[in-house]
Amino acid sequence: MSTTAPENSPLRRFLHNLLQSPWHVRDAALRSGLPTTDRTRSNFVFGNVFLHLHSVRTHRWSLRWSTTWGLGLAATAAFLIALVSGVLLMFYYKPYPEAAYDSIKDIHFVVPTGRFIRNIHRWSANVMVVAVLLHMARAFYTAAYRKPREFNWLIGMGLLVVTLGLSFTGYLLPWDQLAYWAITIGANIAQSPREVTDAVGITETFDPGGLQRELLLGSDIVGEEALIRFYVLHVMLLPLALVSLLAVHFWRIRKDGGMTRPSDADQRLAPKADVYPVFTEAPQKTYQLAAIVKGASPAVGRGPENTVPSMPHLFYAELGVLMLTVLVCLALSMISDAPLKELANPSVPENPAKAPWYFLGLQELVAYSAFMGGVGIPMIVVIGLGLIPFLDREEAETGAWFGGPGGLRLVARSAVFGLASVLGIEAFAIRFGWLREWFPEIPQLVITAVNPGTLLAAIYAAYSLWIVRRYGSARAGALALFTCFLCGFVVLTVIGTHFRGPNWTFYWSPADWPRH
Amino acid sequence: MNKNKHLLLWSSLGALCLLVGAAVQENFLKEWRGIQASIQTDAGPADVRLRQIVAPKLGVTDRCVTCHVGMAPGEQEGSGHPLAAAHGPVGHDPAEFGCTVCHGGQGRATEKADAHGDVRFWPAPMIPTRYAYAGCGSCHTHIRVPGQSELERGRSLLERYDCLACHRVDGRGGTLRPGGVGGMEGPDLSQAGARGFDTRWHEKHLQFAGQPDKAGWQDAFTDIDTAERDSIEAFLTSRVGAPRLVDAKARFHSLGCRGCHKIGGIGGDDGPDLSRVGQRDPGQLDFTHVRGEHTLANWLSEHTRDPARVVSGSKMPKFGLSDDDVDLLTYYMLSLRRSDLPEAYWPKDRIQASRFGQREFSTDGATLFGTFCAACHGDAGQGRRFPGSPPMPAVGNADFLAAARDGFLESTIWLGRPGRRMPAFGEDAGGLRREEVQAIIAHLRREAGVKEPDRLHPLPRWASGDPDRGRSLYDRHCAGCHGARGEGTDAPALNHPLLQATASDDYFVETIRRGRRGTPMEGFGQPSTIHPVLALGDIESIVAYLRTWEKRQ
Repeated sequence: MSTTAPENSPLRRFLHNLLQSPWHVRDAALRSGLPTTDRTRSNFVFGNVFLHLHSVRTHRWSLRWSTTWGLGLAATAAFLIALVSGVLLMFYYKPYPEAAYDSIKDIHFVVPTGRFIRNIHRWSANVMVVAVLLHMARAFYTAAYRKPREFNWLIGMGLLVVTLGLSFTGYLLPWDQLAYWAITIGANIAQSPREVTDAVGITETFDPGGLQRELLLGSDIVGEEALIRFYVLHVMLLPLALVSLLAVHFWRIRKDGGMTRPSDADQRLAPKADVYPVFTEAPQKTYQLAAIVKGASPAVGRGPENTVPSMPHLFYAELGVLMLTVLVCLALSMISDAPLKELANPSVPENPAKAPWYFLGLQELVAYSAFMGGVGIPMIVVIGLGLIPFLDREEAETGAWFGGPGGLRLVARSAVFGLASVLGIEAFAIRFGWLREWFPEIPQLVITAVNPGTLLAAIYAAYSLWIVRRYGSARAGALALFTCFLCGFVVLTVIGTHFRGPNWTFYWSPADWPRH
Repeated sequence: MNKNKHLLLWSSLGALCLLVGAAVQENFLKEWRGIQASIQTDAGPADVRLRQIVAPKLGVTDRCVTCHVGMAPGEQEGSGHPLAAAHGPVGHDPAEFGCTVCHGGQGRATEKADAHGDVRFWPAPMIPTRYAYAGCGSCHTHIRVPGQSELERGRSLLERYDCLACHRVDGRGGTLRPGGVGGMEGPDLSQAGARGFDTRWHEKHLQFAGQPDKAGWQDAFTDIDTAERDSIEAFLTSRVGAPRLVDAKARFHSLGCRGCHKIGGIGGDDGPDLSRVGQRDPGQLDFTHVRGEHTLANWLSEHTRDPARVVSGSKMPKFGLSDDDVDLLTYYMLSLRRSDLPEAYWPKDRIQASRFGQREFSTDGATLFGTFCAACHGDAGQGRRFPGSPPMPAVGNADFLAAARDGFLESTIWLGRPGRRMPAFGEDAGGLRREEVQAIIAHLRREAGVKEPDRLHPLPRWASGDPDRGRSLYDRHCAGCHGARGEGTDAPALNHPLLQATASDDYFVETIRRGRRGTPMEGFGQPSTIHPVLALGDIESIVAYLRTWEKRQ
C-alpha cells in the first residue's frame, strides 16, 4: 500500500487533472463559477461579451409587457431567424441568372425541408419589417426618443433603412418574374431624379438618377451584374451593417438608462416581495467611480432600487419573445409558401409589376410623380422622422403611451384626419384623374410639385403646425404628424397592394382585372 | 416572471411541434416515398431514394423517374404499383435525353402537380398523353410531308397493291401468310421515313418476283408505274413512327393555314407566327371565353373552332371545321415547339430544314396549293368569302386561268396585294421559291385543264378607247362590286397598283369578255338577262378607264 499522497504522485495527479478537466474548462469559461446566486449571475452577465450588452439589473417597469410589447426583441428575433435560415439557403443558392432560379427549384423540391426553410426565411423577413415599423411606432408613442435617447432614435432609423434594404435586395435573388419586375420597378424609382433633370434639361451633364440606377444594377438592365450586386449586399454588406448598428442600438439602450419609464413608475409599480435594495447586500462592486462621474450618465445619483437581476428575469422575457417569434414564423411558413413565379423573362413584362409590399405606398405615389414618390417624399419622411427628437424637447409624460398634450384623443382625431385626407385625395385622383389628364400639355415640373403625394404631405404638415399652435406643444404636433404619416402609409400601401391592377388602374378586386 | 416563463414554455413547445411536423412531412409523407416503398422488383423491394436523370448539355434535370421508377435508367421493371412499369419502346434513350425534352413538364419537381406542370407559374406543362407525339416537335421537323390528298393516295396505293400482306405499317398488316405460314415476310415500314429505305425497292421486288424459287412472289407482286411509285414513296417517307402527328401535319398543310401564318419563316404574314405556338404559356392566355379546361391544347382547339369567340376582334375566319379536323390541327400546333437545344443534338431533319433549305412539306403543286392557298381560295380554287371581308378570287376558275398568263400569276403570288389580304409569298417575304410558285400555277392549270393562253396582242398595253365612255360603262356595270374608284369593296380591287402594273390589257379585256362562270362576275361578251353585250370597243374603253387610275397613282 502506497503511502504517497495523490499530489505527490505525478501519475495520479495527471489522472486527477484529466478527470477534472471538463469542470475546469467550464470554470475557465464562466470566470465566476456557475450562475446560481444573484451575485454570480450578475458576474456572469457582466463577464460575458454578449450578455454584457444588457445591464446587470433590469427595472421592473421594463419587464411589463405593455412597456414595449417586445417589438424590438421580436424584430431582433426575426433577424436571427432570417440569419440562420438564410445561411442554410446559402449552401444551395447559386447567384447567377437561371442557375439561381433552378437552385430555388431544387431548394423547393429536393433539399430536405428546403421549401420550409425558404418559407421561414421569407416570413421572418416580413415579420421583421412589420416588427421594426411597429417598434418605431411604439418608441414614438411612448416618447422614448427624448433625451438622452435621441441618438438611439437615429440609429433606429438607420436600422429601418437597412432592414428595408435587406428585404429589397433579397427580393431579386429567386430570379423569377416577380423578382425581376419588382427590381426593375425599384431601379426605375432609383432613376426618378431624371424626372427633374429632364424637365430642367440638364440630364446630359448632370444625371444623378441614371447614376443611382447604374450603381444599383451595375448595368443598363436587371441582369447578372445586378444579381451579384444584390447578392453581395444581401448576404454580406447589409447584414454586417445591421449587426453593427444593432450592437450600437443595444449598447445605447443600456448606456441611456434602459427602457424609458414614466417618472412615477416606481410609485405605480406594486411592491414586490423578492425585490430588495441591492445596497443592503453589501456589494463587492463599488459605485465610487460612478459616484464621481459628472454629467448625463443616467445611473449617476440613483440606486438600483426596484430593479431585478437581468438574469433570469429579463432573459426569460427575451427568450419568450424569441420563441414566440419563431413560433409565428414557423406557423406562417406551414400555412403559406413563399412565391416563385416563372423564370425571369425580360421580354414578358409583368402587368402590373409591383415592388415589395412595403414599397407599394411609394409606388402608388410614383404613379403620379416618380421623383416625388421615389425620392422627394421618402426624403421628407426620413428627415421629418429624424428631426422629431430635436424639435420635441419637452419632458412631460415621457414613457407613457400616447403621452403628451392631447394624448390618445389627439391621436384618434389625427387618425381620422389622416385617413380622411389620404382617402379623399386618392378617391379624387382615382375618380377624376390628375393634372396630366386635364391639361395634357402641362410641364412635368408642375406635376412634380403638385401631385397627390406632395399635396398630402402639405396637408399633413399644415395640420400638424396648426396642432402645434393650438396645443402650444411640439409633442402634440409630432403626435399629429406621426399618426397622419402612419395612416397615409397604411392606406397607400393597401391601395397599392390590393386595388391596383394592370397599368396601375384602380380595381375593386383582382378578380376584375382584364386578362391581357 | 411567471408570465414570461409560460410564454417561453408554450412558444417553445409550439415551435417544437411544428418542427416535428415538418420533419415527419418531409421524411414520411412524401408521395414518391410511398410509391417507391410499394414497388417490388426481382431483386427485392425497390430502394427508396430520389432518382433523377441529369443531362447538363440539354439543361435537363428530370426527377420524373422518382415516381415513374420503372423508367429510371438502370432500373428493372417492377410490380406492385402502376408507376413501376418501364417506358414503352422508343427511339431515344431516356437516360440520355431525360423526360421533359419530349413530354414537357417540370423536371426538377418531385410532386405530381408541380412535375406535370398543372400549377400556376409553370409555363411548360406536360403535353397531354393523347397528343404525346407533339413532343417530337421539340427537335424534329419532319420533312417533305405531303398534303392530305397525296398522303391518302399513297396510303390507298399501299392497300391496293396489297403491300400489307407482307409488310406492317403503323400496326396494321403483315398477318396474311402464303400457305398459312406464320411470321412476317417483309420488314415493318412504320418508321421507313426515319430510318430510310432502299430506293431500288421496286426493281428488287420485281427481281424477286421473277425468281421461281421464291414461293408466293410470282403472283404477289406486279409492276407499279412511276407516278404511283412516287406517291408510295412520299407516303413511306412520311412514316416516322408518329402516324397521327403526320396525319395532323398533312391536314394542316391541306387547309392553307400557312397562307396567313408563318412557320419557320415560311408563310403569309396576315396572322401570328406559329413557329413555336406549341410552347405558349397557358398562364399567358386569355381563357375568359374558352369552355373547358385551361390548357394550351384546349385553348388552341377552341380558338381553331371559332377564333373570334376566343380572341375578340380576331381577323381569322371561322372555317366550320369538323371535330376531327380541329383535333388534328391542335395536334400539329402543339408540335410546333422548336426548343433551343444545342445544335449538336439536332436531328437530321431539323438540320436539313433549317440549314439546307429542305422543305417540311412536299413541294408538289397540290401540296403547295393546300399549304398556302386553300384557306382563302378554297381547296379546289373555287374562291371563298368570309364575313367582313371581300370575296377571295376563284383562282382555280377555268375562265380566270384562260385569261391570265403565267407571268401575271407568278408575280401576283410573288408580290401579293399589299393592303389587301393576299400576302406576298416571294422568297424574301413568304419564303416560296420560283419553282414552287410555278408548281402551284401548274397545279391550277392541271386541275382546271386550261393551258396558258396565247397573247392576243404583242404589246401588254394596247387597248385604245375613250376613258370617258369607259367611265360611264364602268359606273353602270362594274362599280357595284368593284367600287366607285375600283377599290374592291365586294370584288377584287382594280385600282391596286400591283394589279395595274402586272396585268396586261389582254387580261382585262379577256376577263371582262369571258367573265368567270360560277362567280358573280358575268361575261360581257355573251348575252345576259341583266346587262347588254358590250362590243370590243366598249370593253377597251373600260380598260382605258381602268388604266387612268394607274396614272394617278
